[in-house]
Amino acid sequence: MKIKRIIESILDTILYLSELFNLIISAFKNLPSLRIGPVRTVFFRQIYFAGIETLGKMVIIGLLIGIVIISQITSLVGVGSGALIGKILVWVVIRELGPLFAAIVVIARSVTAISAELGSMNAQGEIAGIEMLGIDPQRYLIMPRIIALTLSAVMLTFYFELAAILGGITVTSVFWGIPFEQHTTGILTSLTISELSASLVKSLLFGLVISAVSCSQGLKVSGSITRIPQATTKATMQSLFFVFIFDGIITLIFFI
Amino acid sequence: MITLECANLRGFLDCASLAVSKGSVCAVLTETEFEKNLLLRIFTGLTRLDSGKIFIFGQEVSSFSYTELNNARKRIGIVPNNGGLVSNLKVWENIMLPLSYHSSSHHDMDEKMMTILGKIGYDDSVSALPGPLPAYKKRLAGLARAMLMEPDMMIYDSVFDGLSSDIRGKALETITAFQQEKEGRASLFLDTDESALNYIKANNIYTLKKGKFYERN
Repeated sequence: MKIKRIIESILDTILYLSELFNLIISAFKNLPSLRIGPVRTVFFRQIYFAGIETLGKMVIIGLLIGIVIISQITSLVGVGSGALIGKILVWVVIRELGPLFAAIVVIARSVTAISAELGSMNAQGEIAGIEMLGIDPQRYLIMPRIIALTLSAVMLTFYFELAAILGGITVTSVFWGIPFEQHTTGILTSLTISELSASLVKSLLFGLVISAVSCSQGLKVSGSITRIPQATTKATMQSLFFVFIFDGIITLIFFI
Repeated sequence: MITLECANLRGFLDCASLAVSKGSVCAVLTETEFEKNLLLRIFTGLTRLDSGKIFIFGQEVSSFSYTELNNARKRIGIVPNNGGLVSNLKVWENIMLPLSYHSSSHHDMDEKMMTILGKIGYDDSVSALPGPLPAYKKRLAGLARAMLMEPDMMIYDSVFDGLSSDIRGKALETITAFQQEKEGRASLFLDTDESALNYIKANNIYTLKKGKFYERN
């Protein structure tokens, strides 16, 4: 009985993953639909909501995290090790924290919004209504959300990393008197293509997974709007879970 | 335009046949809202039959690709009872949605939209979200949206439900004129309320009972 349940749950997971994969593939296939006015409007609205509106908070978080990290490192390794501080800052911020924090902020802000919005539309028959107008919901509702959320995740990661590094080295230069150049040398020597591509791949993948999960959970709401809170909770937890899993996998692939 | 041939759907249709021909005005009375909504889904290819055939514009629905089905849907103007508006779009965005999605030349349509809204007695703001609007105003916006698409066929879902006599008169006049505007345009009125037949001048009236359509004299 237990084995049967385990097999069933493995099969369910595989089916769910293939469903997410299909959503992502279909989003890329439908990219040319961005030429259509209303689709473009949905896309820009999502970019504005998920990317631009979050930018200010993301930069503040980045600055604070950068300051915290660099203060800790400086306390640990001492004032004279500017190159080492720069290296650790790059490793921690670019490799790990940038994509991870951007993903967490996107999850907190957009996953709940998208799954609740699509869930409510589905429960109230609005998605069926859109189909009756001859409009493909995959093109009009799903593709712009997946692409916009992914681009927003990449954009937020970049700004977070920039703010964290600039904030960090400014604080150490001002308060500990470490020359600015010492940091920049350390940062520039440790900033390889591998670091940057790991960060990019992570943020891209996180964005794709988060958006696919939120769309999928939203589309699963049917019948009653009381199912919306369940869908948003599921979407949030699953997104976090996938982000940490993929973070581990990509780190293993790139750096081991 | 739409033909059902011995359509079967478990618990709903039992070898039911119906034909809405070019240029005709048909009315179908159902016993429940559920049946009416299901019929609307079948006519738009959202719900597939268990067996039997449904033809839309002469082509069998099961032979349609998804794109072909959407192209056929474009030619059918649907006025759902609840208006079928998208809640996060403003009223004017809702009305213009199918037109701006399917066609690139819709820039002169704002004026036409306002004219239609005026004719059918819609007197609320078009720049507001549809949420707080009463159901009948949402339906009027849905009516304007369908008409803007200049479809070959219109399906009205309890369109006169809850309208004041004044607005009902305006809507009826606009619907009748719209039917005659394009040659061969067909109209199908779905309703659960017998009294709706007082306003609809239908060529054929059908009643859906126990899974079959019965034509009335």
